[in-house]
Amino acid sequence: MLAFTSPWHYFTDPVLQAPTIGSMLMCLASALIGVIVFLRRRSLLGEAISHASYPGVVISIFITAVFFPKAHDALAAIVLIGALCSSLLGLWVIEKMQRSLKVKNDAALCFVLSIFFGIGVLCASRLQFSHALWYQTAHIFLYGQAATMTDIHIVLYGTLAAAIVVALFFLYHSLRIAIFDRDYGKSVGVPIKAVDAILFILLILAIIIGIRSVGVVLMAGMLIAPAIAARQFSDRLHGVFILSGLFGALSGFFGNYLSVEIPEWGKRQGWEWKFALPTGPMILLTASAICIMALLFAPKRGFVRRRIRALYFQRECCRENFLKYMWKNAQCLPVEGIAKLQFGPKSALFVPDSSSAQNAYSQSSMSFCAEAEPAQKSSNLSSKANLAIPSMSFTQLKAGMGFSLWQTFWMLFCLKNEGWIEEKDKKFCLTTDGWQRAAHIIRLHRLWEVYLVHLGHGVEKVHRSAEEMEHILTPELEQELTLLLDNPQLDPHEQPIPSRNLFTFIDTKSAEKTSSSEGML
Amino acid sequence: MMEDIPALKVEGLSVNFDTTSVLWDIHFQIPQGMLVGIIGPNGAGKSTLLKALLGMAKPLSGKMECFGSPLRKAKKRIAYVPQRSSVDWDFPITAFELVLMGRYGTLGYFTWPKKADREAAKKALELVGMSAYADRQISQLSGGQQQRLFLARALLQDADLYLMDEPFAGVDMATEKAIIALMDQLRDRGKTLLVVHHDLSTVDAYFDWVVMLNTCLIACGPVDQVFHADTIMRTYGRSNALLEEVIKLTQNKTCGFH
Repeated sequence: MLAFTSPWHYFTDPVLQAPTIGSMLMCLASALIGVIVFLRRRSLLGEAISHASYPGVVISIFITAVFFPKAHDALAAIVLIGALCSSLLGLWVIEKMQRSLKVKNDAALCFVLSIFFGIGVLCASRLQFSHALWYQTAHIFLYGQAATMTDIHIVLYGTLAAAIVVALFFLYHSLRIAIFDRDYGKSVGVPIKAVDAILFILLILAIIIGIRSVGVVLMAGMLIAPAIAARQFSDRLHGVFILSGLFGALSGFFGNYLSVEIPEWGKRQGWEWKFALPTGPMILLTASAICIMALLFAPKRGFVRRRIRALYFQRECCRENFLKYMWKNAQCLPVEGIAKLQFGPKSALFVPDSSSAQNAYSQSSMSFCAEAEPAQKSSNLSSKANLAIPSMSFTQLKAGMGFSLWQTFWMLFCLKNEGWIEEKDKKFCLTTDGWQRAAHIIRLHRLWEVYLVHLGHGVEKVHRSAEEMEHILTPELEQELTLLLDNPQLDPHEQPIPSRNLFTFIDTKSAEKTSSSEGML
Repeated sequence: MMEDIPALKVEGLSVNFDTTSVLWDIHFQIPQGMLVGIIGPNGAGKSTLLKALLGMAKPLSGKMECFGSPLRKAKKRIAYVPQRSSVDWDFPITAFELVLMGRYGTLGYFTWPKKADREAAKKALELVGMSAYADRQISQLSGGQQQRLFLARALLQDADLYLMDEPFAGVDMATEKAIIALMDQLRDRGKTLLVVHHDLSTVDAYFDWVVMLNTCLIACGPVDQVFHADTIMRTYGRSNALLEEVIKLTQNKTCGFH
């Protein structure tokens, strides 16, 4: 047995059809207009206008009750006109308060919102005693009621929603410039004031058709929620419009669907307590659910994705620090050949008191100064570069980085897996790629230090900042720094800066050397 | 003769509008085909002058002429480059769409841009070296790139008079050089450019003509004639502060705030 009715049923069933389609159209219209209000950062305006329409609604119901007590079908149209007049009046008051009375925008909005709503409630309470039946109708507009909509509502709302869509389509470009860059728009002769006026009319239309199913109090949420959700997914204005309209229509449908289905389902489950879910709040809750999901899980701007990216960055930093540590450690060991892999001519890499290191240093500098130097034919250059890289044991690394056992184990596992290090006889050493990556990080670190000193910062203070920037600098920035500082060889602490394309240079040269020497042999 | 008509002629312009800075009795003329720097301290009314020329700030009094005709009729011949900070860069729009806005003036209010407009926008993007970024959302561009977009948009208007509000603010060296090269090109094609500028050290290198402002006009003329220590002192001196204060006061009095 099917637990829920098929959604299609809601479009064909004579009773459910009108509220469903009516709510969908209304939500579509308000979601589209909401995009504009949201992008112009005037979200509170929707709230103020929807509340300002309430006295108009009540007064028009009153007029109908007194003069046309039989005209139930015409009520929808009369209420629309009443709401329109009242919200226009509200808008005018807001405008006047700002212009002539010099009240700030937000204060004017709040003032109109509460005063108009208060007047509406007052009028409604008067209605309660003279026309008790009509008072119920006035009450509908507070929180909305979709279930009592009829075909006339569909026709009315359908026409207005269609008018809004068509107006937005034709105004699209003028609208975009009016929202994005008003001054420029004026300078090229786009009639910003006329566009604004049309927008206000559309906004009021969307609100007054919306209050029938969502209500005065909840209307502002229906304007904003789909727009916020849509902005999470699209970086193009038309994309935001289309998605927002879609989300709006969806929440209109599911608000209806759930408000009918959930109590039914509860009844079938034999729940003791009875409950009804009003459509207006259900529509708004659906829209809010979509909005919250979008804020959390949208692919680019969503909170979760941003969190993951930040964590990933942290992890990368940690790895780079680990590689850097291994690289630095390898520097302390006076092994011949490493210097040749590392540095340019003026390298002062090795501990000065070790004579073999001195030797290596002078050899390396010579070999870089003159490529055809006989020193370069030394066997360790033609051999694989990583053979010369010293290795470290697990405990050494763990103590050096101050990691826990598992942290070290996991880090080594990951780095090995990604090909930055390799394991030989329970000892770990950098692969050529790992070596290159670590040298690059060191290069960025030292370049940044040189740059800060160049800016006039104290030598002793620059290290901290560089610890951070070494993970952030992009290749373009690196290139700019190199150019600006005229490709420096030493950092402010007299440490050599690994040069940029060292490895490719060495590899191709040594490969040529070996092949040619083999050929000669 | 066409060449004799000044690109811009301002007579007795005074602006005293609620939020903008004050301008008082400005007179100047700018010949065609000049690269003009507008120089003055903060709040001296440089941006207000541009806004008055564009009809966005209502002048109290004064007459402004552009190529010999009243400003309103010459609107199509003026292109405006606003300050970069004046727009919301998080707006959902791509670099290409931003540049395309340059054609909105010739477009009807209800029509969409045609293929020719799109092609022209592509060319303008190419001209400022931004083709590679056409489909980027604008917040993903650097300050210099954003400024180039504004410039490309103005180029698309194919105007004769360009009004630029601090095009060098927050821009990298490469972009500054590219922009100045582009400005030189425009000037060589007979266009007139008015550029609000901040950096005094580059004034004589960049501009042919200079307008020095501090609430009232201090000097206007060729750079080598008017741009020297004396005028700079007067432009950046404090003596004009009193004038501005008094003028602001009259506004408050007439509105009844004091």
